[in-house]
Amino acid sequence: MTLRQALSGVRWYLREVSGESGYDRYVAHMRRDHPGQPVMSRREYERRRQDAREDNPRARCC
Amino acid sequence: MGTRSRKRSIAIWTLVAIVGAVSWGVIALVRGEQISAAWLIAAALGSYFIAYRFYARFIARKVLGVDDKRATPAERLEDDHDFQPTDRRVLFGHHFAAIAGAGPLVGPVLAAQMGYLPGTIWIIVGVIFAGAVQDMVILFFSMRRNGKSLGQMARDEIGPVGGAAALIAVFSIMIILLAVLALVVVNALAESPWGTFSLAMTIPIAVFMGFYLRMIRPGRVMETTAIGVTLLLLAIVAGGFVQDSSLADTFTLSPEALTFCLIGYGFLASVLPVWMLLTPRDYLSTFMKIGTIVLLAVGIVVTLPVMQNEAVTPFASNGEGPVFAGSLFPFVFIIIACGALSGFHSLIASGTTPKMIEKESQVRFIGYGAMLMESFVAVMAIIAASIIDPGLYYAMNAPAAVVGDSVQSASAAVNDLGFAISPGELQSAATAVEEETLVARTGGAPTLAIGMSEIFSGATGNSLKAFWYHFAIMFEALFILTTVDAGTRVGRFMLQDTLGNVWKPIGRVGWKPGLYATSAIVVAAWGYFLYTGVTNPLGGINQLFPLFGIANQLLAAVALTVGTTLLIKAGKLKWAWVTGVPLAWDAAVTLTASYQKVFSNDPMIGFFAQRDRFRDALAAGEVLPPATNVDDMNAVVTNSTVDGVLAALFAVLIIVVILDASRIWFKAIRAREPLPSTEAEYVPSRIRAPSGLFATAEERAVLAGGDGRFMRDEREVTGIGSQPPGP
Repeated sequence: MTLRQALSGVRWYLREVSGESGYDRYVAHMRRDHPGQPVMSRREYERRRQDAREDNPRARCC
Repeated sequence: MGTRSRKRSIAIWTLVAIVGAVSWGVIALVRGEQISAAWLIAAALGSYFIAYRFYARFIARKVLGVDDKRATPAERLEDDHDFQPTDRRVLFGHHFAAIAGAGPLVGPVLAAQMGYLPGTIWIIVGVIFAGAVQDMVILFFSMRRNGKSLGQMARDEIGPVGGAAALIAVFSIMIILLAVLALVVVNALAESPWGTFSLAMTIPIAVFMGFYLRMIRPGRVMETTAIGVTLLLLAIVAGGFVQDSSLADTFTLSPEALTFCLIGYGFLASVLPVWMLLTPRDYLSTFMKIGTIVLLAVGIVVTLPVMQNEAVTPFASNGEGPVFAGSLFPFVFIIIACGALSGFHSLIASGTTPKMIEKESQVRFIGYGAMLMESFVAVMAIIAASIIDPGLYYAMNAPAAVVGDSVQSASAAVNDLGFAISPGELQSAATAVEEETLVARTGGAPTLAIGMSEIFSGATGNSLKAFWYHFAIMFEALFILTTVDAGTRVGRFMLQDTLGNVWKPIGRVGWKPGLYATSAIVVAAWGYFLYTGVTNPLGGINQLFPLFGIANQLLAAVALTVGTTLLIKAGKLKWAWVTGVPLAWDAAVTLTASYQKVFSNDPMIGFFAQRDRFRDALAAGEVLPPATNVDDMNAVVTNSTVDGVLAALFAVLIIVVILDASRIWFKAIRAREPLPSTEAEYVPSRIRAPSGLFATAEERAVLAGGDGRFMRDEREVTGIGSQPPGP
């Protein structure tokens, strides 16, 4: 594995784990499965996602 | 597998087994001389690898019967928020971040009073046969039921009585957990302007991150976290200056004042929108948590410290230890919950994780694997507590009732316990980390911080000792607070949900008065225990930590009972020992501990004996030390009563759950066929993904050149999995 591959692996992991890649996935999903329908802007999408967490708290263990 | 790779595999696993066995041998046989921490690390890792390779695989294949041809709920029910097939390595990260917190760090530190050996053995053996098994089995069963919660499964599989008992168990452990963790924070920060300032700064930092993420750069989590972590490190450095400035008095808070700050903070965090405080705080604490654990592992491996603690101290058998009373059995198994067997994990394994898992076989890597990693954290914690001078350890961890409040009294008390430390040494240990005093800094966090600062400064030089100490304090306090705010919120939802059955409006999550009222009830509940812990003359950790352990092991008993019930119901009686044996052990430990806490005649152990002793003295007009006045005496009487009643309640709950479940077991055993299954329907899976951390050669061939992480892209490109299954 080259250094470049390793770095891109780390970047991929961090983007996935932090949820940053969620929007890209959403856009891909809309383009593929619902072509022609409006796609939310990033701001709108992230706001919706944050608000969804409001009613769905995740327990943290000890 | 080809013969060549098979031979290689046998050779590798034989080597792992030998390394593990030799390390155990060295730990067990070396007496009278100090051993290196490296042996503990090697024994732990060797055991984990063997257990993961053989036992976890056996459970996955034979006992649970994982089936990769079957679609998981994430695949069948994919939506935009809950159900999302997630790469196994990413999900492992999420799951680990959710299960690991302060618990595996604090428990082992307290258990070190019995020596490093009992704790280490329990952490390693317990995780392999109980803790990791519980996590994996519950994850699997919840996954087969579309991510049902533990409470729901208890109700559906055992019955309304068992279900109700499980619900009460979940709520009460939540309250005790929050109180005990908050108590750890109070004990770590009281009278310490450096620590208090740094931790206080995390609130504005988190709020800034929240607004930044919401208003300025939506979704840029990594960038925001990087800014937050930088600010946080600056806050730790700045704390040192604050301590020496005129601001020091502002941030020097008494334990009582800190208690009220925490209670107020918990309430606010529960009613504010999550994006403002909770979510950004969670990013910060997750990053710090993983970062520090990695740092600690590297630190231990690089410096290879030598154990100063005894392998087994006299307190293991005489039960007169100052940190917590009671002998090795059952109390080591109660005090070390997280890291060996933690019932709380079953809430996580039956919550978010089962809704995101991509392939059934991945329960082994995520459920069993993540718990092994938490166990490793616990081993590092017991190492950190055992490399410091035992005299210092007891001076820090015995309650003020034993060691008094000066270095002279502490030194004398430690000598009485059979260990030695001079007043001068105690003072210089405090000065080295720039704290006023280290005497009676109970709760585990300061001890761990001293151990970590020893380890880190072994690599970076002594000049950074104070920085590392406060770094460690900060990181523990940070993620304890995250648990406190998330836990208060979860508790509030549970309460709203339950009360909503009685009176509709309170169940509506958006109704403000209901929201404030339920938040206030939850905060008041843990706040009460926190306050009594802080003001208890006998020492809050000494009194409350065993209760926390009992509650956690009670929840584990519920989880293992559910697992055993499901195995028996599925006609797998011959495999029921896999969860049945740890259940029997856990029930024995928890019931013995509750029995002693309720019925023991020794006032050091039995809550009611303690109550009687102080009540009788009160009636005779006496004041017993450590109480100094009548109010103290009354406080002891009230606290002992409440704690004793709780210990009895926990024991009754376990018995109810197990009895109710055994009714189902007999029914299932007598039935000719397996009882009706509550599993979700079978739908063939269209996703292909590796099972473990690394894709095997066969898996790679199947994925045709794709590593696991290209799986989702591949599926998206070919379109399979995103269409409804054909007729």
